[in-house]
Amino acid sequence: MTLGYPDEENFIKFIKGAEMLGSDIMEIGIPPKYAKYDGPVIRKSYSIVSKRVKDYLALLKLARKELTIPIVILTYLEEFEKNLDEFLEELKSMEIDGVLFPDLLIDYIDNYEDYYKRIKSHGLKAVLFVTPTVPDSIISKVSHLSDIFLYYGVRPTTGVPIPIVPSALVRRVRDLVRNKLVVGFGLSTDDIREVILAGADGVAIGTAYIEKIEKEGVSSALELVRGLRGILDEFS
Amino acid sequence: MVKNDEIFPSFWYNIIPDLPKPLPPPRDPPDAEFSRIDLLRTIMPKEVLRQQFTVERYIKIPEELRDRYLTIGRPTPLMRAKRLEEYLKTPAKIYFKFEGATPTGSHKINTALAQAYFSHEEGIEHVVTETGAGQWGTAVALAATMFNMKSTIFMVKVSYEQKPMRKAIMQLYGADVFPSPSDVTEIGKKILTENPNHPGSLGIAMSEAIRYALDHGYKYLVGSVLDVVILHQSVIGLEAMKQLELLGEEPDVLIGCVGGGSNFGGFAFPFIGHKKGKRFIAVGSEEVPKFSRGEYKYDYPDSAGLLPLIKMITLGKDYVPPPIYSGGLRYHGAAPTLSLLIKEGIIEWREYTEKEIYYAAKLFMQTQGIVPAPESSHAIKAVIDEAIRARNQNEKEVIVFNLSGHGLLDLTNYESMMKRWG
Ligand SMILES: Cc1ncc(COP(=O)(O)O)c(C=O)c1O
Repeated sequence: MTLGYPDEENFIKFIKGAEMLGSDIMEIGIPPKYAKYDGPVIRKSYSIVSKRVKDYLALLKLARKELTIPIVILTYLEEFEKNLDEFLEELKSMEIDGVLFPDLLIDYIDNYEDYYKRIKSHGLKAVLFVTPTVPDSIISKVSHLSDIFLYYGVRPTTGVPIPIVPSALVRRVRDLVRNKLVVGFGLSTDDIREVILAGADGVAIGTAYIEKIEKEGVSSALELVRGLRGILDEFS
Repeated sequence: MVKNDEIFPSFWYNIIPDLPKPLPPPRDPPDAEFSRIDLLRTIMPKEVLRQQFTVERYIKIPEELRDRYLTIGRPTPLMRAKRLEEYLKTPAKIYFKFEGATPTGSHKINTALAQAYFSHEEGIEHVVTETGAGQWGTAVALAATMFNMKSTIFMVKVSYEQKPMRKAIMQLYGADVFPSPSDVTEIGKKILTENPNHPGSLGIAMSEAIRYALDHGYKYLVGSVLDVVILHQSVIGLEAMKQLELLGEEPDVLIGCVGGGSNFGGFAFPFIGHKKGKRFIAVGSEEVPKFSRGEYKYDYPDSAGLLPLIKMITLGKDYVPPPIYSGGLRYHGAAPTLSLLIKEGIIEWREYTEKEIYYAAKLFMQTQGIVPAPESSHAIKAVIDEAIRARNQNEKEVIVFNLSGHGLLDLTNYESMMKRWG
């Protein structure tokens, strides 16, 4: 969920509710200047919160207090590259669990190991993000390095319903991944069943919640959390 | 005798899972007023888009489409350039894959057929594209009619006027051909009001084609650069691998010319991915120096800036190529997969001047009889250089190149070159 979306109060309401309704991990997005791999919906949420939220870190602190499930921060390395250590230290001091930089293995592939070590050296978990354009050899090489799970973003961008065959994409990598595999990026309800059947261990949902909040408010978004939890539970 | 349908593959091959590094995905530009990735969804046939983004190593070629590939004469021949070898006194063997043997005279039909098939399957009745020199437009016109669809082709106005035969073939296949800028789209009308004699450009033609498709609910077909196009073109390399295997040959050097990279990728990638061949040489035009002067960065694949940004070696979308005869090589970038493999040092590149490729083409015509497209002659020049190197080093290598098209509709171009250079 985008940090502070749609406003501070409703953001807290949503994440607390989501935890109660069965979200296992909360991924919180800090708006970057250039959300390279995010689609129109998340971009819009970023632009809304950048106008409304005055103090991101204070809000994040509050979120930490309200949640018991792990919090993983999602933002772009490009944005924080210059003050990376400060940023990571700040997160650690707030007892954030880990970070996920979707651009790490794409735009920083030549020295991803250095960044990986830096994340770990601050005592944070490093959640790695791969896409279908990451070659098999690299997926095999990095999958077990990822903490908590390996994130597999199956569309080129979030929230644009590009037609893909999610199950085919999951099947391609499933045997290469020695870790829990979490699939995300624009998944529909049908996609969720399909990827779980194809071997995914979990799903990441963002755009769908933001759209619900935008159109119908937090309660509807929480209904969606409940519904999706139900789908996952069909398989457990 | 091995049957044609045993040489023709059942699957396309996608190199992305076998690349040495992650292929940077397409992006929307920062502060975009609309999502280009979303626009793709509206303009491209669904299955084509699905193939672009569902990255799998092998994708099955549907039976009906396979049948059409066989109908247009696939597999194309793999031939030996014996007289060229003799002329050059090289110990190397030279083979070429002759894509000029297709009815439209170039490799472009390989993806046109696939994209037309998937459009037809989706219930689309009309497809649209742009064309510069005319090779791509011709391929789309034929592919559309083979699947009982209408086609509309926006042809850059100067080519429309200078290449009446290309226009005629497209029309004989049943296409509507408009000179671009045209008066059938708002974009074209606006340009014509400002300058009724505007010569047109590929960027304008592309914008018109996309606009026309959007306005009428038709689908737009893409001619090069995108991964899915190279996927479809992989039939060239897969066939060639099989044909070489039947001859008992192990290739050493593989060579092809590059406009956007589709014939090169289609030819060379299956070899690279299956670890066959030792060296791979991509050949561009020195007049359009993308390899020597281009930068590896995110850029628009189209000069109109309507498609998503892709990371590639590029001279910049606003680069205006000089009017060389090889229309198909007048492109500012090189496909993302090809660019990455060049950056990683797996593929080498060469650039040659028009004069150099003219002499290479003439030598090829006089030794082998085939009139190569000027684009393909760039590959021939590199082949000659490699064959001479093999002679100097006394290496019995096997050189294989892709002859991407014939030049029988480029004779006016060759005539002009003959006047200049003899
Ligand atoms: C005969 C021929 N060869 C090569 C090309 C270059 O395109 P690509 O690099 O996509 O194969 C073209 C493009 O029009 C062509 O017509």
